[in-house]
Amino acid sequence: MGKSRKTVQIVILLAVLLIGGYAIGTALFADNDKGPLGAGSEPPPFKLADLDGNLRELSDYEGKPVVVNFWGTFCPPCVKEMPEFERQYEKWKDQGLVILAINLSEDTLTVNNFVRRFELQYPILRDVNRKTERSYGLKSYPTTFFIGRDGKIAEIKVGGMTEAEIDERVERLLKT
Amino acid sequence: MSLVENTKCECGHQNAVGTVLCESCGKPLDKNDQSDMPLEMRYDGVARRSQKTNPNVIDRVWNFFSSVKIAIYLIVLTFLTAMLGTIYPQENTFVNNFDPSVYYEETYGLPGKIYYLLGLTHTYESWWFIGLLVMIGTSLVICSLDRVLPLYRALNKQQIRKHHQFILRQKTVFKRRIEGEETKWADGFAAQLKRQGYRIHRDGTALLAEKNRFSRWGPYINHIGLILFLLAVLARSIPSWQLDTYITVPDGDTVQIADTNYYVKNEKFTVEYYKDEELPDKLKGTARAKLFETKAVLYECVSSCGDPLKEPELKEVKRHDIVVNEPLKYKGLKLYQFDFDTTPRLNEVRPVLVDKQTGDTYGPFDLPMKDSAPQHKLGPFTLDLYANYMEFSIDENGEPVTLSRDPVAPAFIFTVKGPGLDPAGEPYLYFPMQKDKVKFSQDAINAAIADKIEIRVDGMENVDFSEASTYLNVRMDRALPYVWIGAAFSMLGLLMGSYWQHRRIWLRIDQGELALGAHTNKNWYGMRSDVAKALGKTGIAVDPKSLDNGGNNA
Repeated sequence: MGKSRKTVQIVILLAVLLIGGYAIGTALFADNDKGPLGAGSEPPPFKLADLDGNLRELSDYEGKPVVVNFWGTFCPPCVKEMPEFERQYEKWKDQGLVILAINLSEDTLTVNNFVRRFELQYPILRDVNRKTERSYGLKSYPTTFFIGRDGKIAEIKVGGMTEAEIDERVERLLKT
Repeated sequence: MSLVENTKCECGHQNAVGTVLCESCGKPLDKNDQSDMPLEMRYDGVARRSQKTNPNVIDRVWNFFSSVKIAIYLIVLTFLTAMLGTIYPQENTFVNNFDPSVYYEETYGLPGKIYYLLGLTHTYESWWFIGLLVMIGTSLVICSLDRVLPLYRALNKQQIRKHHQFILRQKTVFKRRIEGEETKWADGFAAQLKRQGYRIHRDGTALLAEKNRFSRWGPYINHIGLILFLLAVLARSIPSWQLDTYITVPDGDTVQIADTNYYVKNEKFTVEYYKDEELPDKLKGTARAKLFETKAVLYECVSSCGDPLKEPELKEVKRHDIVVNEPLKYKGLKLYQFDFDTTPRLNEVRPVLVDKQTGDTYGPFDLPMKDSAPQHKLGPFTLDLYANYMEFSIDENGEPVTLSRDPVAPAFIFTVKGPGLDPAGEPYLYFPMQKDKVKFSQDAINAAIADKIEIRVDGMENVDFSEASTYLNVRMDRALPYVWIGAAFSMLGLLMGSYWQHRRIWLRIDQGELALGAHTNKNWYGMRSDVAKALGKTGIAVDPKSLDNGGNNA
């Protein structure tokens, strides 16, 4: 009698701990997840095709510093930045820097013409139906996410940057 | 070490610690209780399960949640904190991607900022609020379990012959000498109570009559309902159990519902307004919507889902004309009409190519605004798409650029090869919209080639555009059926507990001395009239009021 009572107590308290822990845990976790991304947040995952039709995922670059740049040919500061990123890529790629430039759901010809014109070497990814830009909560272009080796967002820059500004941020990112 | 309490009753029954009335004969166990005030009959005087002499850690936790006082504090605390969440709008009531860290301060000033910083902008999703709910749930389970099991045991094996003190300290009491044969009198009384719907248990001249015992289980069934309800509410945090998003679908487009495997096609959106003669005078001349309707088709992706390289393979699962309050429903997913936008959008044109030298017409060919085929062969002519622009413009360097990614002012540059043209091809700039043709002087830019060929659209039937976009609210709440089940149980328990009363009558006759006590959990008026009626029919006329033994009888 006493034994079974004890078992019931333990079973119920364990169930409470489990269900309650899960509920409270997700609530706690959601606190950081919700709202706009910021420094320290986990970047939303994506799986996108590049211009050669290869699939690239953010998780492919685990442990490397990654610059994720959202751009479009219709946005003059983005257009200005692209060749600057190219030079930065050349400068830092030996140290492991990854640049992923996600196009803002434009059509193939437009993107291809643009990339050919500037002879860009870093991967250009094609977002489909604005899915990825939505998951990143983009409001204006260009927006650049600097993701550290720890896989967390180190910095977000909304708006265009000069080459010196990119350089300085990349240098900081490589130190993480 | 505390002294072990002596809980053995004079009738020989060994009671658990914390027992108030002997589980067997009903004699009050408290030695200091020498009064003849009515007894405390709660839970029939049995001990709560968790009452122990030497509690350990688990027992202490258990006892904490087993306390009704704690339960009430928890409920009051939850009410009070729930009120805090109603001061300003909660974050989840905003549709658009808004920044709460700015919004609350801008809209409500300093109090808004404090409100946001305290996390009250998402009160009901906060860990501490969920924590309170979990604690209430725990308290419900433990309180119920601790009381219902002993109560069940006590009611399931009741002794018929109760102690005199037990009978005569009830709130409804009757005492009298009776004449004649005791058993015979008891038989007659029992038969009468049976007619009044009581169940009779006899032990010689002692009697127990009982009615509507099931109403005692009402509160516990109510609690089971509440626990289900709470679990259902907590289950909403399971991924994919709850969804509340908005999607924009232009006419003719198929759009994926974010985070699901479903796609929605808007075949046609219609908005109808009231005519002036249908409106009262003061509303005449204003646009009053009569109907918003989206002819929607819901698809489920069956393969190549989430693969950016392939087109997803879709299977139609549901077709419905969504109007306000008549959502498309499919397996718990609901699509509600929410808003609309009547800005038209050009999707595709089917132009022809005219050879101005011969007057021949070739085509038409399909020219979608986005992702057109790179090459079109039209008779002797070949059109290679060199570039396209969604919103054509010329930048400060004189280069063609696009100002946006929506087909506001689309333009195409073709390299045209064919009779009478440069074998290497000649560029031809084409604007599908007449307004752009004029604005950017298409013919002047095209210069020489403009005299040789022309690309043009003949008639509106060769133009495909979306007249409007519909905004749909997508909702899914898998927890809702469980919430309803919980609510139904809760209601059932409430009805059981409040519309019926558990009534019991104990009686014993010792040497012609009749002692009768009766107990109910509510409606003592009915209890007394039941007793008075049964006594009356058995030959003892009493006024129901005279049975009252005091003690706050309702």
